[in-house]
Formats: sequence, C-alpha cells, structure tokens
Amino acid sequence: MISIKKLQKSYKGITAVDIDVLEIHAGEVIGLVGNNGAGKTTFFRLLLDLIRANSGEILSKGNLVTTTEEWKSYTAAYIDEGFLIDYLTPEEYFYFVGKLNQLSKADVDDFLHTYQAFFDDAILKKGKYIRDFSKGNQFKIGIIAALLTNPELLILDEPFANLDPTTQLRLVDMIKKMAADNRMCIIVSSHDINHVSEVSSRILLMEKGKIIKDIAGGEAAYDEMVEYFKVK
Amino acid sequence: MSLLTFLAHQWHSFWRARNANKSLVLQIILGIFYLLIFLEIAGIGILLPYLLEERMPGKDPVLLFSSYIIYYFLTGLLFRFQLQELPSLSIQPYLTQNIKRSSMLRFLNVRSVVHVINILPLFVFIPFSVVVILPAYGTVATVCFLVSMFALVVNNHFLNMYIKRRSISSSWWFFAIIIIIAILKGFDYFKIISFEKTSANLFIGLLHHPWLCIIPLALATVIFLINNNYLRSHLYIEELVSERKLTISKKYSFLDKYGDVGEMIALDLKLIFRNKRPKSLIILSGVILLYGFIFYPKYLQTGNYTVLFLFALFITGLFISNYGQFLFAWQSSHFDGMMSYNINMKQYIKAKFSLFVTVCSLQFLIASFYGFMGWRILPIQLAAFLYSIGVNSFVTIYAATYNYKYLNLSKSASMNFQGIGALQWLQSLLISFGPVGVFYLLNKFVGFWAAIICISALGITGLALNEVIINWLVGQFNIRKHKILEGFRER
Repeated sequence: MISIKKLQKSYKGITAVDIDVLEIHAGEVIGLVGNNGAGKTTFFRLLLDLIRANSGEILSKGNLVTTTEEWKSYTAAYIDEGFLIDYLTPEEYFYFVGKLNQLSKADVDDFLHTYQAFFDDAILKKGKYIRDFSKGNQFKIGIIAALLTNPELLILDEPFANLDPTTQLRLVDMIKKMAADNRMCIIVSSHDINHVSEVSSRILLMEKGKIIKDIAGGEAAYDEMVEYFKVK
Repeated sequence: MSLLTFLAHQWHSFWRARNANKSLVLQIILGIFYLLIFLEIAGIGILLPYLLEERMPGKDPVLLFSSYIIYYFLTGLLFRFQLQELPSLSIQPYLTQNIKRSSMLRFLNVRSVVHVINILPLFVFIPFSVVVILPAYGTVATVCFLVSMFALVVNNHFLNMYIKRRSISSSWWFFAIIIIIAILKGFDYFKIISFEKTSANLFIGLLHHPWLCIIPLALATVIFLINNNYLRSHLYIEELVSERKLTISKKYSFLDKYGDVGEMIALDLKLIFRNKRPKSLIILSGVILLYGFIFYPKYLQTGNYTVLFLFALFITGLFISNYGQFLFAWQSSHFDGMMSYNINMKQYIKAKFSLFVTVCSLQFLIASFYGFMGWRILPIQLAAFLYSIGVNSFVTIYAATYNYKYLNLSKSASMNFQGIGALQWLQSLLISFGPVGVFYLLNKFVGFWAAIICISALGITGLALNEVIINWLVGQFNIRKHKILEGFRER
C-alpha cells in the first residue's frame, strides 16, 4: 500500500522525520506512538503531500504522492481542524465530501444513519456551523467525514485524545471492525497506549523522527510500550 | 492589575501577531499612508473656513460649520455601526485571573475608545477651532467648544457600544438612523423646520455661553455610566458577544449539473456569504456598481474615454481583484483539508476561474443599463469585461499562488491589511493601469474603435486559451503548494 524510502524532513537543521525503509500493507492497522515532537504529525503530513520532504520518496500503490493525485481518491485523513470547512453545517460538509467521492445525498444519509450512535444526537440537525461546535464534536465530524468515503487508506492523528470515553470505546470497536471487514489500511497515532495496542496489528514507535521499534500489536506490545514510556 | 498592563498586552498582541506584516518596507509604506491620511484630514480642518468662504461667500464659516454639526454626528453614528467592533473577547483570558471586575471594566472602556474613528474628528475640530474660533471668540469659548465636541464624540462612541451590546443586529439601528437623517434633511429641504438653523443656534449659543458645555459633558457621562453598568452586570463571555442565529443548510441546486466544479463554486459562495470579511467585499463590489452614476456622465460629456474605461474596469471587474487577491487564502483555515480531499487540482483552479466569470458576467449585465447614458458606454464596458475575465482573472490567480499569508475571515475588511503584502499592491496597480495604458495609447494615436477591439481581442484570446492557461496555472500552483500550505498553517 505505502512504501517509503529514505524519507527525510528537517526544520532548521532539526530532524523531524527520518525513515530509511518502511512498508505498510493493505489490511494492517498501524499504531503510531511516540512522545510530543517525535514526528508523528509531520509524518502524516508527508504522507498526504502537505509538506515537502527534503529527500526520499513515498509511494502509494506504487505512485509517488508528490507528483500524482490518484491517492486522493482512496485516502482519507483527519489530522486537525485544518481539515474542516468551518463555515459549513456538518450536513453540508458531509455532502460536500461525499460528492467529491461520487456519493449521492442518499448514500451519505444512509451512512450517517448507521453512525447515529457515534454522534450521540449532538451533531446532526443542530442548525450550527462547524465552527460553533465544541472541539470534541468537531473531531467527531472530522472522523466521520474521513470514514464516509470508505477509503482504502485511513489516517487519523490522535483520534482518542479529544473524544469522550464512550466515543473512544466506540471508535476502538469501529476501527477493529473496519479492518476486519474491508481490509482497510488504517494508521492511527495516539498517546493512549491502551487503546492503541488494542486496535493495532502493528505498532511503530517513533523517537526524534526515527522509527525505533516496529512490533506486532497486542498485550506484548502494550508491555513493551509501558517499559519504553515509563519515567526513568 | 493596572490599566497599563492591559494596554501593554494589547500593544504586544498587535505587534506580535503571527501574521503582522514583518516586512519593513511595507510597514514604512503603510506608515506614510496613514500619516498622509491624518495630514490630509488636518489640512481639511485648516482649509475648511477658506473652502466654505469660496463656496458660499459672505457667510460666517463658524455659522456654516455649526449648522452641519448635528448631521455630522448622526452620520458618524452610521459609520460607527459599520466600522467599530466590540472589544469584548480580548478580556477572555483575564476573566479567571485574580483581577477586580472594576479594573477589567476600565480596561474595556479605555480600550474601546482607542479607535481611528474617535481620533480622526479631532484632527478636523482642533485645527478648525484654532484657525477660526480662537480669533473670534477667545480662549475660554474655544476650549469649551472643543470639550463639547470631544464629549459628543465620546457620547457617540458609547452610544454605539451600548446599542451593539444590547441588540443582536445593529442593522435595524443603521436603517433607523438613515431614515432619521432623511427626515431631518427633508424638513430642511422643504423649509418646514430648519435643523441646520437649530444646529447653528445650539453651537453658536455654546460659543456665547461657554459654560453650556456641561450639557454635552453630562450627556457623555450619562451614556458612559449606562454602558458601564450594563457591562458590569454582563461580564460573561457568552453575553458580551452578540447572539448567534440558527442556521439552515443550503444547497445551490442550479450548480449541481456542473459536477465537482459546481460543488466548489457553491463552497466559495457559502464562504462569501457566511463570513464577515468576504461578505463586506461583496457589498463593496455592489456599491462600486453605483459609481457609474457619479462618474460616467461627467466623462461622457468631456469625451474622456480612457477614464471611462478605467471606471468600466472597476465596475465590471472589481470582484476579481478584491476576491482574487486572497483566492486561496480565503480557505487558509482548512487548506490542509482542501489539499487532501479528493479534488483534482485542475478542477479546483477551474472552479475559481468559473466563479470569476460568473460574478463578472452578472456585474456586466447589471452595468449594461448604463448604456442609457450614452451608447459608447456599452462597447467600453464590453471591452473592460472581456479583458477582466480573459486576462485579469488569470493574472490574479497567478498572483494568488504567491500569497502565503493566513487570513482570518471573521474580522471586518475595512482598514484591515491582514494578509496584504507588497505583491498585492503591485498586482492591483498592474491589473488596472496596464490595460488603461494600452487603451489610452491606442485611443489617442489610432482611434476609439482600435482601442476597444484590441482590448477585447486580448480578453477573447485569454478566454480561448483558458484550457492551456489553466494547465499552466496548475503547474505554477503545484510548484508553490507546500509553501502556501506552510504559510497558511502559521496563524
């Protein structure tokens, strides 16, 4: 799905991302962990061609993300509010994103119907623009919009951080289910090692831009992360 | 916490704003620009008596001046509705600190007074009073007169603040005041009751009895206290900002048949109508349409077609330069998203171009009614229109790929230079005076029709080549895409 070679990005001499080789396959759920400044968000932005790498390349299904646009049709992401068009109502935003991916209004309505529980009645038909929602609810809108297009590659930056506990658990279930049903490739970053070890089939641990651990998800990964993150 | 600390924070917030213009050259240019405005206005104050003398010889300038003071303050109130914003949100970070309410109130009041609209009038009143009133009425009267004027400015200021705080929308007040002015003017015009005379009597009386200045002072104090008390009991963030209306999802179904391009035009339209800054630009583009009434007759008479062409360019094409200079910056808050949604860059640029063509065609159609003033206006406007959409639109899109500055949509546009760099100034000069120069030369040395045909041909060529040009623009955009994204992320 994604293959990365000699990818480097630095800001004023400080390395933000430095990945020699990395292959990510369809059907994998990647948990990206690391303390603040490890380069997780920069890595995501590089994947989406939102920043220019100093060197190296990222291939998505064999095509360079920097020079082709096909990846946009099967990739969906939510990194921060910079992905939300804040003067639209949530419905308008969903229809807009749906339309860009050839989904009719009815398709979008059907989809939203199945995610009613996730919204908890706080988002649809509220007569508010996205900018007037709370941060947590904006996050929900962003995540749902990313899922809406049924992407083959889904990128979520710290999805658990801004959600309430119920929604966090729902999201954990959703990610597991999507990965099992659709062989979707999902990359999530998180500070919540509990959730991340539960959903991920593979964990990448970043430190100062480098991937220093590449391990299988599950209980063992949880213990390894506890060991790494504990205060020394 | 003292008032000075608050003000120091404000000073920092102004100069340290991320996207405050850091370019020294531009700051100097802006500085000179402001200085010129102030000097000009002070000049008006000094020259006013001579101007009055020239226009209406033999009349006492003080009398004339006084007779318009009432109208001045009424129209001043109108401008305030549009230009002044409540400085409420700036106190948000202080609300939870150990600061007394009274000192926060004092800050809010003082902070709000510091505004161009309060300072500018003084530049008229002070020179005028020194030049005319001082020699005729003496020091005491002059000082009292100035004190009254200042009190009335303050009075207007807090009245506006109070109205804005009390009512969700000030537009009703806006129209109410327009109607009041119209009625007063009407009474004056039909000589039923002369408010000009009333105004003159009031202020000349003030000069004869300087102690009367306690009346405006009292007025100002009362409105200040009312405002202050209201603030004191409503010092909660949700009550300080005006209330939000319920919004309804909208769909521009007529754009449906244009696919993704239509969808993005609809997005741009929503952007324009739902955000303060682009909305005021649209209103401006509408007001510009009326310029024809003011300028066309004069230049039609003198046969100065070059100037007519310049105005035609503004009337038919102002939207392009106004909206286009921030073409991508309008979406700066969600540009990360725009670049990762499933949008083809060519369609994206094409949508921007189509928006230009749509709005300009509308402006052109409306402006065609000016044809009734003289048939020559029609070919001139047609040429200006074709040039605007065929050349200026592409130049503007190209220039927009060099604009890396984040734009806050919720701030109003007047006197707002956020996101404007040297390039924008250069661009606006180029797209208006370039074609005007060509028109002038051709009109002068070849003939009217040569100028019209040549300008139109340039526009038509651009339109015919739009596919090629748009492809090239996409390439240009892609070269600077990451730089634009990076700039927009810096808020």
